[in-house]
Amino acid sequence: MAWLKIIHFSFYRNTFLTFYIYRKCKTTSTEESMKKIVVLILTLLVISSLSAGGKQEASVTAANQDEKNLSWMEGPSVHGLPGVNPLKVTGNIITAGSSTVFPLSERMAERFKDEGYGGTITIDSIGSGAGFERFTVAGETDIANASRGIKQSEIEAAHEIGRDPIEFRVGTDALAVTVSKENTFLKNVTLEELAQIFGAAARWSDVNPDWPNQPIQRFIPGTDSGTFDYFAEEVFNKQVEPLLSASNVQLSEDDNILVQGIKGSPYAIGFFGYAYYAENADSLNIVAIEGVEASAENVDNNSYPLARPLYIYSDATILQNKPQVAAFINFYLSYVNEEVVDVGYFPANEEAIERGRAAWLKAMGL
Amino acid sequence: MANIRRKPTITSYVPGTILFLFALISIIITIGIAVILIRESYLFFNDPEVDLWGFLTGKQWQPMINKFGILPLLNATFTTSIIAMMLGIPVGLCVAVYLSEYASDKTRAILKPVLEVLAGIPTIVYGYFALTFMTPMLRGIFGEGVVEIYNTASAGLVIGILVLPMIATMAEDAIGSVPKELRLAAYALGGTKLETTFKVIIPAALSGLSATFLLSLSRAIGETMIVALAAGAGPKLTANPFEAAETITGYIVRISGGDVSYNSVDYNSIFALGLVLFVITFTLNLVSRKISQKFHQEYD
Repeated sequence: MAWLKIIHFSFYRNTFLTFYIYRKCKTTSTEESMKKIVVLILTLLVISSLSAGGKQEASVTAANQDEKNLSWMEGPSVHGLPGVNPLKVTGNIITAGSSTVFPLSERMAERFKDEGYGGTITIDSIGSGAGFERFTVAGETDIANASRGIKQSEIEAAHEIGRDPIEFRVGTDALAVTVSKENTFLKNVTLEELAQIFGAAARWSDVNPDWPNQPIQRFIPGTDSGTFDYFAEEVFNKQVEPLLSASNVQLSEDDNILVQGIKGSPYAIGFFGYAYYAENADSLNIVAIEGVEASAENVDNNSYPLARPLYIYSDATILQNKPQVAAFINFYLSYVNEEVVDVGYFPANEEAIERGRAAWLKAMGL
Repeated sequence: MANIRRKPTITSYVPGTILFLFALISIIITIGIAVILIRESYLFFNDPEVDLWGFLTGKQWQPMINKFGILPLLNATFTTSIIAMMLGIPVGLCVAVYLSEYASDKTRAILKPVLEVLAGIPTIVYGYFALTFMTPMLRGIFGEGVVEIYNTASAGLVIGILVLPMIATMAEDAIGSVPKELRLAAYALGGTKLETTFKVIIPAALSGLSATFLLSLSRAIGETMIVALAAGAGPKLTANPFEAAETITGYIVRISGGDVSYNSVDYNSIFALGLVLFVITFTLNLVSRKISQKFHQEYD
């Protein structure tokens, strides 16, 4: 059984299965164990072929349901859009993109399901750039969530696969610069100080002599994130080098990892969408920028320097061919203002949302 | 002695052949992985910004801004693995000695399955164990100012726990395969149980044991989930295990988790790193095979 031992050694993956086979072979006679292994393998094969067959059937029925129908348009119209009856919407929806927009899309998806939608909505939280990549290059998703506007290069990529991105404004985020509750010295920063804190300065005292002589621990969103792009654009004039070459910098597409890290030390600092601050307000402090606090009022009157729009993107052909996507976006634009504050963001102004509704009607040919 | 075994029939070859095909699949997969890694890494090293010497000796890793030095990642990988070995080897060896030399059949019957349960825990669970138990414990002992929330020590210790059952099981095999005569000879010369174990059995099993340690080291180097969760998410060249640092596997999982664009240098860089990991673990596995072969020849 020497070769089995080799396999056991090189493919040791902590599974009971390897353990089982390995131990059986050691303890029982060769022939008996051979039989057992063959039976085991055959069983696995049968099971896997059965489950594959099941999947095929499922996809056939899904294809049948994908036929164009508008029977879900029911009820009184909301803000000029036809009413949506989620009970009559079938088929799955695939979305991916910004981790900032993620909580909002998740909330809208939950409400859509609560009101009767029976399909599955996939929402991958992978960063705006990656979301556009999937939407415009691979064409795998129906909707791209984004915390920045689409770039010209991304529009061109979409045209190459026959998609024409349509923008729907869904809300406004006040990018939150946060520190731990234990941090007692940082209440307000200027944009220049912010550039030093996240850039060249190694210690807090390098930025301001009144601050502690301690290394700055930075927790920032990953390079695929719209939040990262936005911050580099606003604070560093689109330069990413200073952000990335800073010492003690940790990057993650998962905002919860950032929250954990910032909570962990009084000398840590980071930034992300306001919703993640709102969710962790008991353990994090938000820092005012240029003396302006992130509040609904300051976001509304444009005085908060790091306020930015949140979007979802789709395409007319998708809306027409996949009624579930059209219904979901209709539902999204109709009710987003009832949910957005609770999620932790700020409503976009009515004019911007109205443009999205008009674009939806145009795309549907209504 | 007369041969009483049944004459082999055609059907008795069937299981062997089928199993050989399965073994062949594993070889083909290994070759396939190597080919893909080499091909994609070639794209990376072909990039005008990258040179091999800079890759191997550079002290900064941020492919987005053309900093391609593998040292910070390699350093973190070895820090976590060495810490893991510092916990895993002594404890695993003691468990193995206890199981093979001291334990009664009754305790063995309880201890072995428990060890195997430890081996069956998914690594993501170990990752959260590191983050929510090991890190707070370390911070409690050494102080919050000393131990950062993400640190390589916590990840390393938990990897040590992860490889513990592997070391214990394989070390027990190595000790068990020491010929009985050696043991009896030691007792006959008046050795106590402790002397026999540590002065005769363990030296005799040493090559098998070193093979075990090398294999578990290569397992620790390749471990991903624990370091991704607990070790930190930014490349940093540091000798302090209480600071956050990103390992090779941690970087790969972070970048591929963010769905990087194809054909970007970030994307190609993860294959080059994968190739480095592959070379390291492959070498360790080969060396450990050589050592254990040598050891078998000694007593045959």
